[in-house]
Amino acid sequence: MGSSIRKAIELILSADPELLNILSTTAKVCLTSSIFALLLGVPIGILLGAERFPGRKVLLVLNRTLIGMPPVVCGLLFYMLFSGVGPFRHLHWLFTVKLMILAQVVLITPIIVGVMETFVADTAPALRETAKGLGFGRMKEYRLLINECLYSIFSAYLLSFARAIAEVGAVAMVGGAIAWKTNVMTTAIMMYTNRGSFTLGIALGLILLSLSLLVNIVLSVLQGRLSR
Amino acid sequence: MKTIAFSKTYSKRVVLNLPELELPEGQITAVIGPNGSGKSTFAKILAGIERADEKSPVLSGLSVGYLPQKSFPFRMSTEKNILTNGSDRARAARLMKALELEGLAGQSAKKLSGGETARMALARLLMRQYDLLILDEPTSAMDMESTLASERLIADYCHKTGCAVLLITHSIQQARRMAQQLLFLREGELIEQGETEPVLSAPTRAETKQFLEFYGI
Repeated sequence: MGSSIRKAIELILSADPELLNILSTTAKVCLTSSIFALLLGVPIGILLGAERFPGRKVLLVLNRTLIGMPPVVCGLLFYMLFSGVGPFRHLHWLFTVKLMILAQVVLITPIIVGVMETFVADTAPALRETAKGLGFGRMKEYRLLINECLYSIFSAYLLSFARAIAEVGAVAMVGGAIAWKTNVMTTAIMMYTNRGSFTLGIALGLILLSLSLLVNIVLSVLQGRLSR
Repeated sequence: MKTIAFSKTYSKRVVLNLPELELPEGQITAVIGPNGSGKSTFAKILAGIERADEKSPVLSGLSVGYLPQKSFPFRMSTEKNILTNGSDRARAARLMKALELEGLAGQSAKKLSGGETARMALARLLMRQYDLLILDEPTSAMDMESTLASERLIADYCHKTGCAVLLITHSIQQARRMAQQLLFLREGELIEQGETEPVLSAPTRAETKQFLEFYGI
Protein backbone atom coordinates (compact mmCIF):
# COMPACT_ATOMS: atom_id res chain seq x y z
CA MET A 1 0.00 0.00 0.00
CA GLY A 2 2.75 2.43 1.09
CA SER A 3 4.91 1.66 -1.90
CA SER A 4 1.90 2.06 -4.24
CA ILE A 5 1.22 5.54 -2.86
CA ARG A 6 4.92 6.43 -3.23
CA LYS A 7 4.91 5.21 -6.83
CA ALA A 8 1.67 7.11 -7.49
CA ILE A 9 3.22 10.35 -6.24
CA GLU A 10 6.27 9.70 -8.43
CA LEU A 11 3.93 9.16 -11.39
CA ILE A 12 2.25 12.53 -10.76
CA LEU A 13 5.57 14.33 -10.33
CA SER A 14 7.06 12.75 -13.47
CA ALA A 15 4.12 13.97 -15.59
CA ASP A 16 3.41 10.48 -16.98
CA PRO A 17 2.01 10.86 -20.55
CA GLU A 18 -0.90 8.46 -19.98
CA LEU A 19 -1.81 10.22 -16.74
CA LEU A 20 -1.67 13.59 -18.51
CA ASN A 21 -3.90 12.27 -21.30
CA ILE A 22 -6.47 11.02 -18.78
CA LEU A 23 -6.36 14.36 -16.96
CA SER A 24 -6.80 16.37 -20.15
CA THR A 25 -9.74 14.20 -21.32
CA THR A 26 -11.32 14.56 -17.87
CA ALA A 27 -10.84 18.32 -17.91
CA LYS A 28 -12.30 18.59 -21.42
CA VAL A 29 -15.38 16.49 -20.57
CA CYS A 30 -16.07 17.99 -17.16
CA LEU A 31 -15.36 21.65 -17.93
CA THR A 32 -17.36 21.62 -21.17
CA SER A 33 -20.32 19.73 -19.71
CA SER A 34 -20.44 21.85 -16.55
CA ILE A 35 -20.31 25.11 -18.56
CA PHE A 36 -23.13 23.94 -20.86
CA ALA A 37 -25.11 22.80 -17.81
CA LEU A 38 -24.54 26.19 -16.18
CA LEU A 39 -25.74 28.08 -19.26
CA LEU A 40 -28.86 25.94 -19.40
CA GLY A 41 -29.52 25.44 -15.70
CA VAL A 42 -29.14 28.97 -14.34
CA PRO A 43 -31.88 30.65 -16.44
CA ILE A 44 -34.23 27.67 -16.01
CA GLY A 45 -33.62 27.60 -12.25
CA ILE A 46 -34.13 31.36 -11.90
CA LEU A 47 -37.36 31.22 -13.93
CA LEU A 48 -38.71 28.26 -11.94
CA GLY A 49 -37.87 30.02 -8.68
CA ALA A 50 -39.07 33.51 -9.56
CA GLU A 51 -42.15 32.94 -11.70
CA ARG A 52 -45.46 31.20 -11.12
CA PHE A 53 -46.99 29.61 -14.24
CA PRO A 54 -49.12 26.58 -15.11
CA GLY A 55 -47.03 23.41 -15.17
CA ARG A 56 -44.31 24.80 -12.88
CA LYS A 57 -44.90 22.18 -10.20
CA VAL A 58 -44.76 19.39 -12.78
CA LEU A 59 -41.41 20.75 -13.99
CA LEU A 60 -40.13 20.88 -10.41
CA VAL A 61 -41.09 17.24 -9.79
CA LEU A 62 -39.50 16.27 -13.10
CA ASN A 63 -36.30 18.10 -12.21
CA ARG A 64 -36.13 16.48 -8.76
CA THR A 65 -36.56 13.11 -10.44
CA LEU A 66 -33.74 13.89 -12.85
CA ILE A 67 -31.46 14.94 -9.96
CA GLY A 68 -31.86 11.45 -8.57
CA MET A 69 -31.44 9.67 -11.91
CA PRO A 70 -28.75 6.95 -11.63
CA PRO A 71 -25.88 7.76 -14.03
CA VAL A 72 -26.00 4.25 -15.50
CA VAL A 73 -29.64 4.83 -16.51
CA CYS A 74 -28.58 8.03 -18.24
CA GLY A 75 -25.71 6.13 -19.88
CA LEU A 76 -28.07 3.36 -20.99
CA LEU A 77 -30.48 5.89 -22.50
CA PHE A 78 -27.74 7.58 -24.55
CA TYR A 79 -26.23 4.21 -25.47
CA MET A 80 -29.58 3.12 -26.91
CA LEU A 81 -30.10 6.41 -28.74
CA PHE A 82 -26.65 6.47 -30.35
CA SER A 83 -25.80 2.76 -30.78
CA GLY A 84 -26.20 0.81 -34.01
CA VAL A 85 -29.97 0.43 -33.54
CA GLY A 86 -30.68 3.92 -32.14
CA PRO A 87 -32.23 6.86 -34.01
CA PHE A 88 -29.00 8.93 -33.84
CA ARG A 89 -26.62 6.14 -34.98
CA HIS A 90 -25.72 8.08 -38.15
CA LEU A 91 -23.96 10.74 -36.02
CA HIS A 92 -21.35 8.15 -34.91
CA TRP A 93 -21.07 9.75 -31.49
CA LEU A 94 -20.97 6.54 -29.44
CA PHE A 95 -17.61 6.11 -27.65
CA THR A 96 -16.67 9.73 -28.30
CA VAL A 97 -16.02 12.64 -25.95
CA LYS A 98 -19.00 14.49 -27.51
CA LEU A 99 -21.50 11.93 -26.23
CA MET A 100 -19.80 11.80 -22.82
CA ILE A 101 -20.29 15.57 -22.59
CA LEU A 102 -23.93 15.32 -23.67
CA ALA A 103 -24.67 12.59 -21.11
CA GLN A 104 -23.04 14.64 -18.37
CA VAL A 105 -24.97 17.77 -19.34
CA VAL A 106 -28.20 15.79 -18.88
CA LEU A 107 -26.96 14.48 -15.54
CA ILE A 108 -25.76 17.73 -13.99
CA THR A 109 -28.11 20.38 -15.41
CA PRO A 110 -30.90 19.33 -12.97
CA ILE A 111 -28.49 19.91 -10.05
CA ILE A 112 -27.90 23.49 -11.16
CA VAL A 113 -31.63 24.02 -11.79
CA GLY A 114 -32.40 22.65 -8.32
CA VAL A 115 -29.83 24.80 -6.50
CA MET A 116 -30.93 27.96 -8.34
CA GLU A 117 -34.66 27.29 -7.95
CA THR A 118 -34.34 26.72 -4.18
CA PHE A 119 -32.35 29.91 -3.67
CA VAL A 120 -34.46 32.11 -5.93
CA ALA A 121 -37.79 30.82 -4.57
CA ASP A 122 -36.58 31.88 -1.14
CA THR A 123 -35.17 35.26 -2.17
CA ALA A 124 -37.40 36.50 -4.99
CA PRO A 125 -40.64 37.33 -3.09
CA ALA A 126 -38.98 39.77 -0.67
CA LEU A 127 -36.75 41.27 -3.36
CA ARG A 128 -39.68 41.64 -5.73
CA GLU A 129 -41.83 43.36 -3.12
CA THR A 130 -39.08 45.86 -2.41
CA ALA A 131 -38.26 46.38 -6.11
CA LYS A 132 -41.91 46.86 -7.02
CA GLY A 133 -42.31 49.24 -4.11
CA LEU A 134 -39.50 51.35 -5.50
CA GLY A 135 -41.16 51.33 -8.91
CA PHE A 136 -38.46 49.27 -10.65
CA GLY A 137 -39.26 47.54 -13.95
CA ARG A 138 -38.90 43.82 -14.61
CA MET A 139 -35.44 44.16 -16.18
CA LYS A 140 -34.01 45.99 -13.19
CA GLU A 141 -35.73 43.54 -10.85
CA TYR A 142 -34.07 40.61 -12.66
CA ARG A 143 -30.68 42.35 -12.66
CA LEU A 144 -30.92 42.74 -8.89
CA LEU A 145 -32.08 39.14 -8.51
CA ILE A 146 -29.12 37.83 -10.53
CA ASN A 147 -26.81 39.96 -8.41
CA GLU A 148 -28.27 38.26 -5.32
CA CYS A 149 -27.70 34.86 -6.97
CA LEU A 150 -23.97 35.23 -7.67
CA TYR A 151 -22.86 32.99 -4.82
CA SER A 152 -25.51 30.41 -5.69
CA ILE A 153 -24.39 30.41 -9.33
CA PHE A 154 -20.77 29.78 -8.31
CA SER A 155 -21.68 27.10 -5.79
CA ALA A 156 -24.09 25.42 -8.25
CA TYR A 157 -21.31 25.39 -10.84
CA LEU A 158 -18.74 23.93 -8.47
CA LEU A 159 -21.21 21.32 -7.23
CA SER A 160 -22.04 20.31 -10.79
CA PHE A 161 -18.35 20.20 -11.70
CA ALA A 162 -17.66 18.02 -8.66
CA ARG A 163 -20.51 15.70 -9.68
CA ALA A 164 -19.22 15.57 -13.27
CA ILE A 165 -15.67 14.77 -12.27
CA ALA A 166 -16.73 12.04 -9.84
CA GLU A 167 -19.26 10.46 -12.21
CA VAL A 168 -18.42 7.07 -13.66
CA GLY A 169 -21.55 5.17 -14.80
CA ALA A 170 -22.68 7.26 -17.74
CA VAL A 171 -19.25 8.16 -19.12
CA ALA A 172 -18.14 4.50 -18.90
CA MET A 173 -21.18 3.36 -20.88
CA VAL A 174 -21.18 5.98 -23.63
CA GLY A 175 -17.42 6.58 -23.70
CA GLY A 176 -16.30 2.99 -23.41
CA ALA A 177 -13.21 3.98 -21.35
CA ILE A 178 -10.96 3.73 -24.41
CA ALA A 179 -7.35 4.41 -23.48
CA TRP A 180 -5.87 7.60 -25.00
CA LYS A 181 -9.35 8.55 -26.30
CA THR A 182 -12.26 8.51 -23.86
CA ASN A 183 -10.68 7.36 -20.62
CA VAL A 184 -11.37 9.80 -17.78
CA MET A 185 -10.14 9.64 -14.19
CA THR A 186 -13.00 7.60 -12.76
CA THR A 187 -13.15 5.08 -15.59
CA ALA A 188 -9.35 4.78 -15.53
CA ILE A 189 -9.37 4.05 -11.79
CA MET A 190 -11.89 1.24 -12.42
CA MET A 191 -9.95 -0.08 -15.39
CA TYR A 192 -6.55 -0.17 -13.70
CA THR A 193 -7.96 -1.58 -10.46
CA ASN A 194 -9.62 -4.41 -12.42
CA ARG A 195 -6.24 -5.12 -14.00
CA GLY A 196 -4.57 -5.20 -10.59
CA SER A 197 -2.48 -2.13 -11.46
CA PHE A 198 -3.05 0.08 -8.43
CA THR A 199 -0.37 2.72 -8.95
CA LEU A 200 -2.12 4.76 -11.63
CA GLY A 201 -5.47 4.24 -9.86
CA ILE A 202 -4.06 5.62 -6.59
CA ALA A 203 -2.43 8.55 -8.42
CA LEU A 204 -5.77 9.42 -10.03
CA GLY A 205 -7.59 8.93 -6.71
CA LEU A 206 -5.18 11.37 -5.04
CA ILE A 207 -5.78 13.93 -7.79
CA LEU A 208 -9.56 13.48 -7.52
CA LEU A 209 -9.47 13.98 -3.75
CA SER A 210 -7.23 17.04 -4.16
CA LEU A 211 -9.67 18.50 -6.68
CA SER A 212 -12.57 17.86 -4.29
CA LEU A 213 -10.62 19.65 -1.54
CA LEU A 214 -9.88 22.55 -3.90
CA VAL A 215 -13.56 22.88 -4.87
CA ASN A 216 -14.52 23.03 -1.20
CA ILE A 217 -11.84 25.62 -0.40
CA VAL A 218 -13.00 27.79 -3.33
CA LEU A 219 -16.63 27.43 -2.17
CA SER A 220 -15.74 28.51 1.37
CA VAL A 221 -13.75 31.52 0.15
CA LEU A 222 -16.55 32.55 -2.22
CA GLN A 223 -19.15 32.15 0.49
CA GLY A 224 -17.20 34.57 2.65
CA ARG A 225 -16.57 37.09 -0.12
CA LEU A 226 -19.95 37.09 -1.85
CA SER A 227 -22.01 37.24 1.32
CA ARG A 228 -20.46 40.65 2.05
CA MET B 1 -56.43 61.56 -4.86
CA LYS B 2 -59.15 58.98 -4.67
CA THR B 3 -59.10 55.21 -4.48
CA ILE B 4 -62.02 53.18 -5.81
CA ALA B 5 -64.02 50.94 -3.49
CA PHE B 6 -62.54 47.44 -3.46
CA SER B 7 -62.45 44.15 -1.63
CA LYS B 8 -59.97 41.33 -1.15
CA THR B 9 -60.85 37.70 -0.58
CA TYR B 10 -58.49 34.92 0.52
CA SER B 11 -59.87 31.36 0.32
CA LYS B 12 -63.49 32.60 0.22
CA ARG B 13 -62.88 34.81 3.31
CA VAL B 14 -63.26 38.54 2.75
CA VAL B 15 -60.26 40.13 4.48
CA LEU B 16 -60.76 43.65 3.20
CA ASN B 17 -63.81 45.55 2.06
CA LEU B 18 -63.24 49.27 1.71
CA PRO B 19 -65.31 52.12 0.31
CA GLU B 20 -63.96 54.87 -1.94
CA LEU B 21 -61.29 56.79 -0.02
CA GLU B 22 -59.76 60.23 -0.30
CA LEU B 23 -56.02 60.52 0.28
CA PRO B 24 -55.27 64.24 0.46
CA GLU B 25 -52.15 65.42 -1.37
CA GLY B 26 -49.49 67.07 0.78
CA GLN B 27 -50.88 65.35 3.85
CA ILE B 28 -50.15 62.23 5.85
CA THR B 29 -52.97 59.76 6.39
CA ALA B 30 -52.32 57.22 9.14
CA VAL B 31 -53.94 53.81 9.12
CA ILE B 32 -54.38 52.25 12.54
CA GLY B 33 -56.09 49.10 13.72
CA PRO B 34 -55.44 45.82 15.52
CA ASN B 35 -53.48 42.91 14.02
CA GLY B 36 -55.36 41.25 11.18
CA SER B 37 -57.42 44.34 10.44
CA GLY B 38 -56.13 44.42 6.85
CA LYS B 39 -53.75 47.39 7.11
CA SER B 40 -50.84 45.72 5.32
CA THR B 41 -53.12 44.14 2.70
CA PHE B 42 -54.57 47.60 2.07
CA ALA B 43 -51.04 48.98 1.59
CA LYS B 44 -50.01 46.12 -0.71
CA ILE B 45 -53.08 46.50 -2.91
CA LEU B 46 -52.57 50.26 -3.25
CA ALA B 47 -48.91 49.64 -4.10
CA GLY B 48 -49.84 47.06 -6.74
CA ILE B 49 -48.04 44.24 -4.92
CA GLU B 50 -51.33 42.36 -4.49
CA ARG B 51 -54.49 42.53 -6.55
CA ALA B 52 -57.94 43.41 -5.31
CA ASP B 53 -60.89 41.18 -6.26
CA GLU B 54 -62.06 43.76 -8.78
CA LYS B 55 -60.26 43.78 -12.09
CA SER B 56 -59.88 47.55 -12.38
CA PRO B 57 -56.87 49.08 -10.59
CA VAL B 58 -57.50 50.72 -7.24
CA LEU B 59 -55.25 53.60 -8.30
CA SER B 60 -54.27 54.33 -11.85
CA GLY B 61 -51.86 56.65 -13.59
CA LEU B 62 -49.99 57.52 -10.41
CA SER B 63 -46.44 56.81 -9.36
CA VAL B 64 -46.53 54.95 -6.08
CA GLY B 65 -43.63 54.34 -3.71
CA TYR B 66 -44.02 51.58 -1.15
CA LEU B 67 -41.92 50.65 1.85
CA PRO B 68 -42.72 47.12 3.03
CA GLN B 69 -42.56 46.13 6.68
CA LYS B 70 -39.33 44.26 6.02
CA SER B 71 -37.36 45.89 3.26
CA PHE B 72 -34.87 43.87 1.29
CA PRO B 73 -31.25 45.07 1.32
CA PHE B 74 -29.72 44.43 -2.10
CA ARG B 75 -26.30 42.71 -2.12
CA MET B 76 -24.21 45.86 -2.39
CA SER B 77 -23.06 48.73 -0.16
CA THR B 78 -25.51 50.93 1.74
CA GLU B 79 -24.77 53.89 -0.53
CA LYS B 80 -25.18 51.84 -3.71
CA ASN B 81 -28.48 50.51 -2.37
CA ILE B 82 -29.71 54.08 -2.00
CA LEU B 83 -28.42 54.98 -5.45
CA THR B 84 -30.40 52.13 -7.08
CA ASN B 85 -33.39 54.46 -6.88
CA GLY B 86 -31.80 57.56 -8.38
CA SER B 87 -28.41 58.88 -9.40
CA ASP B 88 -28.48 62.16 -7.45
CA ARG B 89 -25.47 61.70 -5.18
CA ALA B 90 -26.04 64.99 -3.35
CA ARG B 91 -29.59 63.93 -2.47
CA ALA B 92 -28.31 60.52 -1.33
CA ALA B 93 -25.71 62.23 0.85
CA ARG B 94 -28.39 64.49 2.41
CA LEU B 95 -30.65 61.54 3.13
CA MET B 96 -27.78 59.52 4.62
CA LYS B 97 -26.84 62.46 6.82
CA ALA B 98 -30.43 62.97 8.01
CA LEU B 99 -30.73 59.28 8.87
CA GLU B 100 -27.21 58.97 10.30
CA LEU B 101 -26.09 56.48 7.69
CA GLU B 102 -22.95 58.34 6.61
CA GLY B 103 -20.63 56.06 8.56
CA LEU B 104 -22.25 53.03 6.98
CA ALA B 105 -22.11 54.23 3.36
CA GLY B 106 -19.44 51.75 2.26
CA GLN B 107 -20.64 48.86 4.39
CA SER B 108 -22.48 45.92 2.88
CA ALA B 109 -26.22 46.44 3.32
CA LYS B 110 -26.51 42.74 4.20
CA LYS B 111 -24.49 43.39 7.35
CA LEU B 112 -26.69 46.22 8.66
CA SER B 113 -28.77 45.77 11.80
CA GLY B 114 -32.57 45.79 11.62
CA GLY B 115 -32.83 49.47 12.49
CA GLU B 116 -30.04 50.44 10.09
CA THR B 117 -31.68 48.45 7.29
CA ALA B 118 -34.96 50.26 7.96
CA ARG B 119 -33.19 53.65 7.76
CA MET B 120 -31.36 52.63 4.56
CA ALA B 121 -34.65 51.44 3.04
CA LEU B 122 -36.36 54.74 3.87
CA ALA B 123 -33.47 56.75 2.40
CA ARG B 124 -33.59 54.56 -0.73
CA LEU B 125 -37.31 55.14 -1.16
CA LEU B 126 -37.08 58.90 -0.67
CA MET B 127 -34.54 59.26 -3.48
CA ARG B 128 -37.37 59.65 -5.97
CA GLN B 129 -40.55 61.70 -6.10
CA TYR B 130 -43.84 59.80 -5.99
CA ASP B 131 -47.49 60.86 -6.14
CA LEU B 132 -48.32 58.49 -3.32
CA LEU B 133 -45.94 57.19 -0.68
CA ILE B 134 -47.05 54.11 1.27
CA LEU B 135 -45.08 53.31 4.41
CA ASP B 136 -45.86 50.08 6.23
CA GLU B 137 -44.60 50.51 9.79
CA PRO B 138 -41.44 52.29 8.64
CA THR B 139 -40.00 52.84 12.11
CA SER B 140 -40.98 49.63 13.92
CA ALA B 141 -37.35 48.42 14.00
CA MET B 142 -35.87 51.81 14.97
CA ASP B 143 -34.93 53.36 18.32
CA MET B 144 -36.67 56.57 19.42
CA GLU B 145 -33.96 58.90 18.09
CA SER B 146 -34.03 57.33 14.62
CA THR B 147 -37.84 57.19 14.71
CA LEU B 148 -38.07 60.94 15.29
CA ALA B 149 -35.44 61.68 12.60
CA SER B 150 -37.36 59.48 10.14
CA GLU B 151 -40.66 61.14 11.00
CA ARG B 152 -39.16 64.58 10.36
CA LEU B 153 -37.77 63.41 7.05
CA ILE B 154 -41.09 61.89 5.91
CA ALA B 155 -43.05 65.00 6.94
CA ASP B 156 -40.53 67.19 5.14
CA TYR B 157 -40.73 65.04 1.99
CA CYS B 158 -44.53 65.17 2.06
CA HIS B 159 -44.53 68.94 2.55
CA LYS B 160 -41.94 69.67 -0.15
CA THR B 161 -43.17 67.28 -2.86
CA GLY B 162 -46.88 67.61 -2.16
CA CYS B 163 -47.37 63.88 -2.39
CA ALA B 164 -49.96 61.98 -0.40
CA VAL B 165 -48.52 59.74 2.32
CA LEU B 166 -50.24 56.68 3.70
CA LEU B 167 -48.66 55.62 6.97
CA ILE B 168 -49.49 52.20 8.39
CA THR B 169 -48.64 52.25 12.08
CA HIS B 170 -49.22 50.46 15.35
CA SER B 171 -48.21 53.56 17.28
CA ILE B 172 -51.07 55.91 18.12
CA GLN B 173 -48.46 58.42 19.30
CA GLN B 174 -46.80 58.31 15.91
CA ALA B 175 -50.13 58.80 14.16
CA ARG B 176 -50.80 61.79 16.44
CA ARG B 177 -47.34 63.28 15.78
CA MET B 178 -47.39 62.83 12.03
CA ALA B 179 -50.81 62.42 10.48
CA GLN B 180 -53.43 64.98 9.57
CA GLN B 181 -55.94 62.27 8.61
CA LEU B 182 -56.72 58.98 10.30
CA LEU B 183 -58.32 55.74 9.13
CA PHE B 184 -59.30 53.09 11.67
CA LEU B 185 -59.63 49.55 10.26
CA ARG B 186 -60.99 46.50 12.01
CA GLU B 187 -61.51 43.06 10.50
CA GLY B 188 -61.08 44.47 7.01
CA GLU B 189 -63.72 47.18 7.40
CA LEU B 190 -63.25 50.94 7.63
CA ILE B 191 -64.74 51.74 11.03
CA GLU B 192 -63.88 55.42 11.31
CA GLN B 193 -62.11 58.15 9.40
CA GLY B 194 -61.46 61.84 9.76
CA GLU B 195 -58.96 64.37 11.02
CA THR B 196 -56.53 62.82 13.47
CA GLU B 197 -57.17 64.83 16.64
CA PRO B 198 -61.00 64.69 16.56
CA VAL B 199 -60.95 60.92 15.89
CA LEU B 200 -58.44 60.30 18.69
CA SER B 201 -60.01 62.62 21.24
CA ALA B 202 -63.69 61.98 20.45
CA PRO B 203 -64.20 58.78 18.48
CA THR B 204 -67.76 58.25 17.30
CA ARG B 205 -67.71 54.48 17.06
CA ALA B 206 -67.59 52.09 20.02
CA GLU B 207 -64.94 49.90 18.30
CA THR B 208 -62.57 52.88 17.93
CA LYS B 209 -63.17 53.92 21.52
CA GLN B 210 -62.41 50.41 22.74
CA PHE B 211 -59.23 50.21 20.64
CA LEU B 212 -57.96 53.59 21.85
CA GLU B 213 -58.78 52.79 25.50
CA PHE B 214 -56.59 49.72 25.18
CA TYR B 215 -53.70 52.07 24.29
CA GLY B 216 -54.60 54.35 27.20
CA ILE B 217 -55.89 57.17 24.99
